[in-house]
Amino acid sequence: MSQLDWIVLIVTLLAIITYGLYKSRTTHNLDGYFLSNRSMPWGLVLLSIMGTQASAITFLSAPGQAYTDGMRFVQYYFGQPLALVVVCIVFVPIFRKLKVYTAYEFLENRFDNKTRSLTSFLFLMQRGLSTGISVFAPSIILSSLFGWNIYYTNILMGGLLIIYTMSGGAKAVAYTQQLQLIIIFIGMFLAAYMVVNMLPKNVSFVDALKVSGKMGKLNVITTGFENGKFNWSDQYNLLSGLIGGFFLGLSYFGADQSQVGRYLTARSLKQSRMGLLMHGLVKVPMQFLILLIGALVFTFYQFNKAPIFFNDVQIKKIERSVYKDSFAVVQQQYNAIALQKENTIVAYSLAADQKNESLQAQKLNELKMLQSGSDSLRKKVKRWIATKEVKGDNNDTNYIFLRFVVDYLPVGLVGLLIAIIFLASWGSIAAAINSLASCSMVDFHRRFTKKKESGENEYKLSKWYTLGWGIFCIIVAMFTYNIGNSLIEAVNVLGSLFYGVILGVFLVAFFMKRIKSGHVVFWAAVLAELLVLTVFILTKTGVFKMGFLWLNPIGAFGVIFFSSLLDKIIPQKQKPSPL
Amino acid sequence: MKETDNDKAPLFKNWNYWYVLVIGFLIVLIILFSLFTKQFA
Repeated sequence: MSQLDWIVLIVTLLAIITYGLYKSRTTHNLDGYFLSNRSMPWGLVLLSIMGTQASAITFLSAPGQAYTDGMRFVQYYFGQPLALVVVCIVFVPIFRKLKVYTAYEFLENRFDNKTRSLTSFLFLMQRGLSTGISVFAPSIILSSLFGWNIYYTNILMGGLLIIYTMSGGAKAVAYTQQLQLIIIFIGMFLAAYMVVNMLPKNVSFVDALKVSGKMGKLNVITTGFENGKFNWSDQYNLLSGLIGGFFLGLSYFGADQSQVGRYLTARSLKQSRMGLLMHGLVKVPMQFLILLIGALVFTFYQFNKAPIFFNDVQIKKIERSVYKDSFAVVQQQYNAIALQKENTIVAYSLAADQKNESLQAQKLNELKMLQSGSDSLRKKVKRWIATKEVKGDNNDTNYIFLRFVVDYLPVGLVGLLIAIIFLASWGSIAAAINSLASCSMVDFHRRFTKKKESGENEYKLSKWYTLGWGIFCIIVAMFTYNIGNSLIEAVNVLGSLFYGVILGVFLVAFFMKRIKSGHVVFWAAVLAELLVLTVFILTKTGVFKMGFLWLNPIGAFGVIFFSSLLDKIIPQKQKPSPL
Repeated sequence: MKETDNDKAPLFKNWNYWYVLVIGFLIVLIILFSLFTKQFA
């Protein structure tokens, strides 16, 4: 990085930390620390919800996902607006009426302490681990690109945000997220502008889309049906996005404290609802635009030679392995195809200038064939990286966008985009750590200690829990390596393992009024979690194929099914409903 | 649950209109994305 990039990076990060500390004055009790005294307007709630969901992985991985697999990933978000509507109708009014700190508090009122603790524990486990991945994801990428030490990068990435998160709680989190998102959107807009601007002068935006589309990158809507049969192993399609995404969204916004904690900071039910509904309106278009950047980066690399593999560290590993000579040959073949691609695309541009549609179509077909040739060489390299001789990470999805940024964007903008990785990362991690601390404090410490603490003491203890979880996430990040799939997928898979069950417990609580026994729901949740884990292991061992999004409905319906079954078997103690 | 004045929906008569707006917007987006896919993919 140049000196100017370093200045932009350091100034941006210091500005955020200072702003976070400046905004960190809050009432010294749990309401102030975890819920900003329930005083936020809907605009801040919206930005906080967005900042919590959109991590660095969103901005790094999504363009790479579009580059490799096309834009169909956007379908993953289709279920979310539907889920947000349900959350506004069912979940938010109850949480606000009961004035809970955490979503799981409600479960003790409805069932018993055991069910509350189990659900809160499942949340702490999955959120703690996935936040660790969220710290690791940008660290590994930055350390690979710039040769930074991964351990120091992890400490820097996680450590700096602990300062203001610990100091100011939910209020500092919300205010810094606001500033972070503004900087992120400016940076992403500039990056998108630069991609289009760097295309050859005679290639219009529509031409760029045509090239990208012909190469299969603009497959925004896919049905999942192949030869008249639905492919259950297909990860992203309209049906899995709407149904699986709906259940995932419902769990995330209705039963995940990192989000519940955001909209409970609103000053009224109206402000909570407005924040959530506005998010339902903007999320899908925002994700579409981020993916479109990836599809355009793909077009850009049709005019400019793309690296055969985007992570240089792995290439160096091959060059030191037994595949050294074979790799040199493949690299030569790849370069030759890249040159042919450049010539073909120039011919396509000329045909576009002359408005010769048949020649345009012919050149696009030639380009498609050349692309499949270079794809097969890339696959070969990926196979080598995965072998025991190389022992590398053969997934470069997370490196594609950043490689482009570092190689092609002007001085200053590189520093800004690296800063964005930190900021996006901080936005989601800060909210996650705040929610982990609130659950530990409210659902466990407060619930299980006999001594009644004063408000000031609870506030101080909450700060220590925040610090503890921050350190835990940095430790997880230190041990996270070679997850395999793109990191955004890894976090979502981890969430899907637990979210369905957590949601199922809430669905039983809200909609199955006849079930009153906590004993029934507790064991139903345990059985459903075992079911989800079994299904996941069976899909991983290849016994059958199924996309991970389906684990969410399986978990949710599993709890409902086992609750109904056990309710008939286990004798109930009558308990009045709090609703 | 009784809705207080402070919880009334802004712009519309009640919250149902907001819910329809969010779902309707999603449907419009899916249709537009389908046309986009058909046009370019």
